[in-house]
Amino acid sequence: MIDKKVLENEIKEIISDVSGYNLEEIKPNTNLINELEIDSIKAIEITVAIEKKYKISVRDEDVPKIVTLTDAVELVYGMLNQKGN
Amino acid sequence: MKMSSNEYDAVIIGAGIGGLVCGCYLAKAGMKVLIAEQHNKPGGYCTSFKRGNFTFDAAPHCFGSYREGGMLRKIFSDIGIDKKLNVIRANPSDIIITPNYKINIWNNMEETIEDFSQHFPDYRDKIKQLFYLLVDTNPSSFSNFRNITFRDLLNYYLKNEILKEIIALPLLAIIGLPSSKISAFVGAKLYSEFLFDGGYYPAGGMQVLPDTLAMTFIKFGGELRLSCLVNKIIVKDNKVKGIILEKNEIIQSKYVISNCDARQTFLKLLGRKLITDDFYNKLISMIPSMSNFILYLGLDKNFQTSLKTGSAHYFFNHYSSEFAYKFVKKGDFKKYGGFAFRVSHDKSSIYAGMPAPFKNKIFWGNNKYHVMNAFIDRIEKYIMPDLSKHIIYKDAATPYTMYRYTLNYRGAAYGWLSVPSQLIIPEFKKPPFIKNLYMVGHWTTYGIGISGAAYVGYDTAKLISKNNDRQNNKNLII
Repeated sequence: MIDKKVLENEIKEIISDVSGYNLEEIKPNTNLINELEIDSIKAIEITVAIEKKYKISVRDEDVPKIVTLTDAVELVYGMLNQKGN
Repeated sequence: MKMSSNEYDAVIIGAGIGGLVCGCYLAKAGMKVLIAEQHNKPGGYCTSFKRGNFTFDAAPHCFGSYREGGMLRKIFSDIGIDKKLNVIRANPSDIIITPNYKINIWNNMEETIEDFSQHFPDYRDKIKQLFYLLVDTNPSSFSNFRNITFRDLLNYYLKNEILKEIIALPLLAIIGLPSSKISAFVGAKLYSEFLFDGGYYPAGGMQVLPDTLAMTFIKFGGELRLSCLVNKIIVKDNKVKGIILEKNEIIQSKYVISNCDARQTFLKLLGRKLITDDFYNKLISMIPSMSNFILYLGLDKNFQTSLKTGSAHYFFNHYSSEFAYKFVKKGDFKKYGGFAFRVSHDKSSIYAGMPAPFKNKIFWGNNKYHVMNAFIDRIEKYIMPDLSKHIIYKDAATPYTMYRYTLNYRGAAYGWLSVPSQLIIPEFKKPPFIKNLYMVGHWTTYGIGISGAAYVGYDTAKLISKNNDRQNNKNLII
């Protein structure tokens, strides 16, 4: 099972790549939309990058729940756990 | 460190709207930037040309996303040209005409909902819900549209087939796809950024936009070279080093940004050897968008019309975008049964267009005048009786013309086809296998049309500036 801290760093990399913000500017509770200028296109870009990397499919109803890095980590962690079982 | 004259921080290949916007931001941030454009004027598809006393817009004939807070308004205000431009707006911006309906898209959303609801009173609430969803600014509600088609979205809200088709027809007229094929994300963006917030026009013609951007770019210290074809992108150790122009002139640069066609960028300027097999396979399997056949008519002073000048009209003699798509793909324009047109604000000219397949140079050489005259006949038959009596100049651009002036693959009007599977593919915007290479414009899969191209130009400039600051800081620390 993937370590949560490793997962957090990997997802942080994805968000940094897409948003252009430095890793150290992305804190667990940074609001992705308001503080990192994540618009609709970037929200899709991040979702698709996560889906590709972890071979999962994020449900439509789960997308709006991702407000911060922590939200994304929890969601992916949960899905990977389910997949593992 | 002082740079030599042939050394730049960034070179941009192509002075389309994406390249110009990107160039303005980078130059404004203090970078030394060169834009090389193969045509003799800036703009890409967004140009105008003169014939006698007439000025015609070559392809785009209005723009969107210019409300307070709209993307293009933000960009123009960032680079300080919003006050310089005299932008007029048609109201209604768009008008849909079918055998039984004439529905306006007004500048005011409530009026538009009212217009649709008067014709379909049972759907008043659903129309309102759908239209407000289309303009919802919450990024995550749009993310849900990534895998579905516009048809799926319409089916969710509406049951009336005619109403669904009426909403789908402008999209068919603009990008040549029926609702069952077009990505829900792109369909929603076209509605929110180009129809509900559309109809803007720079006084003087569309060429004013790229001209103003080019002048601003130069004012910020940028250098623009026209009639300057780029032959090669120089790469060393998987990192860009510059470009080679005609006569083997070498330009060195830290960043290279391609605002030209994707196939040209990867297969010609870089070359097959420099791109990965995976990306090559992806690139050659991608389907481009449809091209356009555009008609330019110059009219005499006696021409009168009850049609609203400046507004984009979408006429169809049926209610089936599926049927129309099947035929227009083959170049059967009669069975396509529709066209888009706009009478200029001063009533001196008409711009009319239809999606069209690329075919080839010989086909259009043989068929251009036949297609053009049949097109005029259909406008006369359905919309403007006696039109031909008032025509004093006529010409047309075929898909081959589109290719010839811009080198866009197969004369594609909107980059890659806007289907869900071709939406937002990061490798096109920032190819991971070559460092410091970026793409801007409609071939990135990130945005189409003027505001889409401008968005990608703005966004890429922002990423490059951030990356550049980071590298410079690192150098300072060392």
